[in-house]
This record gives sequence, C-alpha cells and structure tokens, in this order.
Amino acid sequence: MKTRIKEYRARYDLTQEDLARKVGARRETILFIEKGKYNPSLSLAHSIAKALNATIDELFIFDD
Amino acid sequence: MKEKMTIVVGAGIAVLVIFTFAFYFIAKETIELFDIVSILIIVILVTTSIYFIWDRLKNLKAGLPAQDERLKLAGYKAGYYGFIAAIWSAIGSNLGYNILFDQELRGGLVVAAVVLVSGIVFMISFIYFSRKGN
Repeated sequence: MKTRIKEYRARYDLTQEDLARKVGARRETILFIEKGKYNPSLSLAHSIAKALNATIDELFIFDD
Repeated sequence: MKEKMTIVVGAGIAVLVIFTFAFYFIAKETIELFDIVSILIIVILVTTSIYFIWDRLKNLKAGLPAQDERLKLAGYKAGYYGFIAAIWSAIGSNLGYNILFDQELRGGLVVAAVVLVSGIVFMISFIYFSRKGN
C-alpha cells in the first residue's frame, strides 16, 4: 500500500510530529505508515485523513 | 495522568526489585546456579522496564502519547511469541538438560528457564516489532 501522507503534510507544512500530535499517535507510527510498513486501523486512517483535510481514498492507494 | 502514573509505578517497582535482590545477595554466603539464573531474570526485567519507561517518557515530553495502536499491536505480537517460547522452553529445558547431563532438572530451575526464555523472547520481539513496523 502506498500513501500520499507526505505530500499532504508538505501542503499544510506539518512535520511528522505535528501530525502525530493531531491524531494522537507516536511519530514512528506516522513514519511507518508513510513508508508503507504499517497499515493503520480504519479509525487512525480516518483521523489522519481528517487532520489533512482529505479522504481516506485520497491518502491511501491500494494496489489491486 | 494515567500514563504518568504507570511510569511512576513502573519505576518504583524496578527500584524495589533491585533493592530486594541486592539485600538478598548481600545476606547470602554462597551463590548457586539458581541464583545466577535469578540474577539474569532480574537483569532482563529491569532492563526491559528501564527501556519502556525511557521510551514513554521521551514521547510524553514531546507531547505525544506514550502508547498508540501500533505499539499495542507490537505488545500483543511479542506476547504471543513469548507465550510460544514459554511452552517450548518448558519442554526443551528439561529435555536438553537430560540429554546433556543425564539428569532431571529441578522444578524451580524449569520455572526459571521458562521465565528467562519467554522474557528474553518477549523483550527482543517487542523491540523488533516496535522498531520495524508491521
């Protein structure tokens, strides 16, 4: 799974730590999600999407 | 508040364990194999506690949660591996001792081996999963 979180973060000038604070996760978790090494729960994915003013579909790209 | 309380209680327990064992070994005249295993167990428990406390404090200071869903998942996975290791070490320690020394291992030592092996496996797998991701 690929993500566009980094791109959206840059758009709002947010660091990984800022985003982590907003969604109540650890910085490493955001890092692993961005690298595709961790698949977040639906709840966390929703929080990230909300924090970045995007939808889950826009942030997470699934390879069919 | 709950997270801070957990850290304080964890640190307190770690200190108490160290003091208890220090007094125990000062009072003891001879050190046996069982004592060496006990020391190893204590070292593992205290090292793990210190690592967890340091890691949580670091995050709390940065205004981040001490634990999140990924870390909880890492804990569950590590617990599973620790459980499997406990089962196999219960069988393996006695069997290995029997093959190597042609003797039965004392019950207390089997328990010590189970705690030691499962503790090490839990600690290594938790650190591995929390540093690697999925």
